[in-house]
Amino acid sequence: MSRATPRFWVHLSQRLVLAVGFIALWSLAASRMPDFILPGPMKVWETMQALFFKPTFLHDVGITMYRVVMGFLLATIVGTPLGLALGSNRTLAGFFEPLLSVTNTVSSAIWAVFAIIWFGISNATTIFVVFMTAMPLILTNVWQGSKNVDKQHVDLARSFRMSRTQILRKIYLPTILPYFFSGARLAFGFGWRVSLVAETLGSSDGIGYRLRQAADLVQTDQVFAWTLTLVVLMLALEGGLLKPMERRLFRWKPV
Amino acid sequence: MSAQPDSVLESAPTVLQVTQLNKFYGQLQALRDVSFDVQRGEVVALLGASGCGKSTLLNIAAGLDSFDNGELHIEGQPASKFKSWHKLAYMFQEDRLLPWRTVRDNVGFGLEAQSVSRNERHERAEQALRTVGLADFAQSWPHQLSGGMRSRVALARSLVVEPSILLMDEPFSKLDPHTRSQMHQELLRIKAASGATVLFVTHDVEEAVVLANRIVLLEPRPGRVKEIVDVPLAHPRLPTDRDTAELIRQLRLKVTP
Repeated sequence: MSRATPRFWVHLSQRLVLAVGFIALWSLAASRMPDFILPGPMKVWETMQALFFKPTFLHDVGITMYRVVMGFLLATIVGTPLGLALGSNRTLAGFFEPLLSVTNTVSSAIWAVFAIIWFGISNATTIFVVFMTAMPLILTNVWQGSKNVDKQHVDLARSFRMSRTQILRKIYLPTILPYFFSGARLAFGFGWRVSLVAETLGSSDGIGYRLRQAADLVQTDQVFAWTLTLVVLMLALEGGLLKPMERRLFRWKPV
Repeated sequence: MSAQPDSVLESAPTVLQVTQLNKFYGQLQALRDVSFDVQRGEVVALLGASGCGKSTLLNIAAGLDSFDNGELHIEGQPASKFKSWHKLAYMFQEDRLLPWRTVRDNVGFGLEAQSVSRNERHERAEQALRTVGLADFAQSWPHQLSGGMRSRVALARSLVVEPSILLMDEPFSKLDPHTRSQMHQELLRIKAASGATVLFVTHDVEEAVVLANRIVLLEPRPGRVKEIVDVPLAHPRLPTDRDTAELIRQLRLKVTP
């Protein structure tokens, strides 16, 4: 990489030291405890490898991804226009604001309980929980964003006789995009985590289900292996998709 | 920066004619019986203290604001029947560059309201940037530019639509004095080359005298015309020249604080 500056190497070595230190501590602790309480790094590594070759592995990861993405997409489809509507109308915003505060105080676990009552053991349960967590976040951020649209920019577009649609596309959307993006990122992160909670309660496959299964059978190494897999997956998603996307979309921002 | 020959101006048709214009905001009268005209190729200044309705007047001329009675003719047509609004360009007090667009895309912004192909838009934007001396900054972001450069980009954005009338609302008031006088020279040079008509608002007497062929002096509360002053001085006009300085002094005395 052309960006491999001295700072980059310093960062890399810091990370390495941290990782080695963590694994050393973990090994030390694990050597004094039984495997079912704290399995060692080597044991977890072996379990992880076995996990990757299990026929159900890809299915479980895939189905969890599917539920998270569906809930997230639904939240975007519903949250964005609602946020725009609230942003463009003060009366509407004042009227609905309490509803949003109430929604935000309800824990995801409670949504999961409701979802099981309403949807039983099905995809809809997890999708609903992800939706209920992600939607208010996206709505609030889009709303904040549309409140920040600069009237001066709108007047500029008007002075060139742009239509309402053009103003929406050329002024509103670019202004809201950074707000939407940070909301969406938050929503995706939360959605991902609550999906596991929902899956432990209300599904018969997926990562959350496997985690509960492992816990029920006291297969602690399995729990650790899944956790590590999740961490790696999330880091890959962050570094491989979200970060580059953010850099590309907001390259106009002053550093 | 050549002096406009006066004979051309006298024979030119009226580009903008304001007759007995009145404007109310509720009970408050913003403009009372305002009349003046702008001839083709002229530079006219609307000069006055704050509260005399100069910006309102400019917004009305730009078709961005309504008026209550009186008449407004643009290129011989009543404003209500006027369709070629794209011949007017409006330059605001702030540069209003869109931070998420490159300099070139900011300049091309106005063309997106017209049916102009992407290639032509880029070409014309780059052409306008050359005119204001910023050709090398086409791919920069607005936040990377200085105040003076941003102002040039805003000027290029107004010029790219090839307006026959350029309306400006205190366009250089936020610049430092040195950059401001640079922009004045720039504007006069471009204006001489394109033959555009310029109507601008200012509260700065010096700016009005340096730029304008005629100055419409406004009085506040309600906004009305006090006097229309011809500026027969040759370009370039330096505020330190004797005649220019004298006219500035006389006008300062007339502007109601």
